[in-house]
Amino acid sequence: MIALQANNINKYFYTPDQFQVLKNISFEVNQGEFVSIIGKSGCGKSTLLYILSTMDTDYEGQLQLTQQIVTGNKQDQLAAFRNAHLGFVFQFHYLLPDFTCLRNVMIPALRLGKVSRQQIEHDAYEKLKLLGMADQALKPASKISGGQQQRVAIARALINNPDIIMGDEPTGNLDTRNTAVVFDILQRLCHEEHKTIITVTHDNDFAAKSDRIIEMSDGLIVDQRMR
Amino acid sequence: MTFSINSEIAFTYLLAKKKQTLVASLGVMFGISIYIFMNSLITGTNEYFEKITLSSTPHIRLYRDQEMSKPTMLDGFAGDSTVNLISNPKMVNQDDRIDNPNALIQFLKTNSQVIAISPQITANVFCSNGNVQESGNVSGVNIMEQDRMFDITSTMIAGNIKDLHSNPNGIIIGSGMAKNLSLQLGDNITVTASNGLAQRLRVTGIFRTTIKNVDQTKCYVNITIVQQLLQKDRSYITDVYVNLKDYTQANRIGEQLTALTGYTAETWQSANEQSIAARMIRDMIANSVVITILIVAGFGIYNILNMMIYEKIKEIAILKATGFAGKHVISIFIFQALLIGILGSVAGIIFGWGLSKGSSMIYIGKGNLEYLPISFYVQHYAKGSLFGIVTSFFAGYIPALRASDIDPVEIIRG
Ligand SMILES: Nc1ncnc2c1ncn2[C@@H]1O[C@H](COP(=O)(O)OP(=O)(O)OP(=O)(O)O)[C@@H](O)[C@H]1O
Ligand SMILES: [Mg+2]
Repeated sequence: MIALQANNINKYFYTPDQFQVLKNISFEVNQGEFVSIIGKSGCGKSTLLYILSTMDTDYEGQLQLTQQIVTGNKQDQLAAFRNAHLGFVFQFHYLLPDFTCLRNVMIPALRLGKVSRQQIEHDAYEKLKLLGMADQALKPASKISGGQQQRVAIARALINNPDIIMGDEPTGNLDTRNTAVVFDILQRLCHEEHKTIITVTHDNDFAAKSDRIIEMSDGLIVDQRMR
Repeated sequence: MTFSINSEIAFTYLLAKKKQTLVASLGVMFGISIYIFMNSLITGTNEYFEKITLSSTPHIRLYRDQEMSKPTMLDGFAGDSTVNLISNPKMVNQDDRIDNPNALIQFLKTNSQVIAISPQITANVFCSNGNVQESGNVSGVNIMEQDRMFDITSTMIAGNIKDLHSNPNGIIIGSGMAKNLSLQLGDNITVTASNGLAQRLRVTGIFRTTIKNVDQTKCYVNITIVQQLLQKDRSYITDVYVNLKDYTQANRIGEQLTALTGYTAETWQSANEQSIAARMIRDMIANSVVITILIVAGFGIYNILNMMIYEKIKEIAILKATGFAGKHVISIFIFQALLIGILGSVAGIIFGWGLSKGSSMIYIGKGNLEYLPISFYVQHYAKGSLFGIVTSFFAGYIPALRASDIDPVEIIRG
C-alpha cells in the first residue's frame, strides 16, 4: 500500500530573487517503509518535508497522503488531517515548556478527542514508557535534557497512532548514544507497528541503516537506493 | 472536548504568567469598579435631586395661561382691506380660574396614568404675629389630597395634617416661618392678602423640608380661606396638580392633557429645566470617565496578550503543526482574555461595591442631604461586568487573530 505519493512538486521562492527550490519532485513511499532524505545543505530537503507534512501549501503539483489527495485542502482541514494521520519530530524538539512531559504528549490526543481523558493519559504513559521516559512523565518539559526532550517529542508524534511519522533532522541535536536510541525506536515503530517513516538527515550512518535513501541536489532527486 | 483542551492551554499560560495576568486583571477591575461607583453616584444624585424636586413640584400642573391680545376684534372692525397689527400688544387681563373644576377633576380621574389630583389656589400674603411680619405664600388645598401627592406628613415636626382637615381656620406653616414669627402649635397668626383682607388663623402644624425658601414662606390652609381672602366664590380654583404613575412620562401626558382640556400643562421637567440639564452633564461626565478607563483596561489586555503571543510564537507554531486549526488558536487566546476579564470583573464588582459603600458614608450635611447620595442597583453591577467582559473579548480578539495567522513553516524553519 502506498502511504505517500508526490507528483511533480515544484516550489519557488520569490524573495530576495525568484528561485526554484524544488524541481519536479516525484516519488512514492510505501506503508511501513523507512526513508531517509539526504543532500547538501540548502538543496531543499526541509522545504520538501514541509510540503509533505501539509504545513506548506504554496507549491505546484499534487500530494497524496494515505491515499487521499491533500493538495488544495483548506488550512483547517489540513490541521485536522495532521492531527489524525501525521506525527512530526523537529530538530529542536519544541515542547511546550509550561506543561509536564505527560501533558505535552497528551495535547494532540486531547485535540483529536477520540477517546476519554483517562484513556489518553494511559496511552501517553505507554508511549513515554516505549521511549524510556515514563519516570520523567510529571516533570516540566523545560526541566529535562535535550535527548530526553527529543524522546518526549517522539512520544507526542506517536500519541494519535499516525500512519506516517516525519522528522526534520530528529537526531541533529543529539549525541551518538541518543541518536542510536532514537534510531532504534523509529526502526522498531517501522518494523513492528508498520509505521511509515520519512526523515531528513545529515547523518550518513543513520541514513545508511534506513530502508531507502533519497538523495537530493539543487532541488532535484538525483539518486534513490534501497538498502 | 475541544473546549477543554483550548481552555486548559489558556489557563496554563495564564498561570505561567501570574504577574502579567494580575496586572491586566487589575486594569479591568479598576475600570469596572469606577464604572459601578460612577453610575451609583450619578444615579443616587439624580434620584436625590428628583426626590427634592418632586417633593414640591407636581408631575403636571394644569392652569390657565394668560393670553396676548390678538387682532381678532380689529379684523372684525376694520375688515380684510387693511393689514391689522397691534403694536406693543399686552397681556389680556382675564380671569385665571379653571372653569368647572369638578368636571375637570372627574375627567382626570378617568385617566389610568393619573394617581393623585389636588386642586388649589395660591396667593402671596403677609403673615404676622403681633408686630412681626413675614411675606409668605399660602396654598389653599385639600390637605389630604396634597399629602397624598407630596407626603407632607413625613416632614411634619409638630401637629398632624388631619388637624387642618378638621379645623376650617387652621394653617400649617414651615419651621422657618415658625421661628421668625416665634409661633408654636396652637398659636394664632394673621394672614393678610394683597388686597388688604386679613384672616386670623390657628397654627395646627409645622413642617420642615430643609429647603430654606420653602420652610420660610410656604403655608397650607383650606381652600375656602384663600377664596375668602381673594374675595372669590366657592368654585374658584386656579391650579390642578396631577401626579402620574410614571413621572418620566410627564411630558407626553402633559401634552395630551393640554390637547384634551385646553389648559396649559407645566411638567416637572419644564419647571426644572436647569436640573435636567445638570443631570445630562453629570451623565456625560460619568460616561466619558468610564469609557476612558475601559479603553485603558482594554489596551492593557491587548498589550499583555500581544507580548504573550510574541513569546509563545514557537509554541503556537508547534500547536498548529500538531493539528490545531486557526480557530483553536483563536479560542485559546480569547479564552485567556475572557479569563482576565472575568477575574477583573469579579474583583471590580467587589471593589466597586466597597468604594460605593465607603463613599455613601461620606458626610455632606448640607440642606437635607446628610450623606453622599449613592444608589445600589444590581443592574449597575451586571452592566459593569458585562462591559468588562465585552472589552476583554475585543481586546483579546485582535491579538488572537494575529496568533491564528502565524505560519508554522516560517517559525519552525527559524
Ligand atoms: N523563506 C525562504 N525564502 C527564500 N529562500 C528560502 C527560504 N527558505 C529557504 N530558502 C532557500 O531555499 C533553499 C532550500 O532550503 P532548505 O531549508 O530546504 O534547505 P535544506 O536542504 O533543508 O538545508 P539544511 O540541510 O541546511 O537544513 C536554500 O537555498 C534556502 O536559502
Ligand atoms: Mg533543513
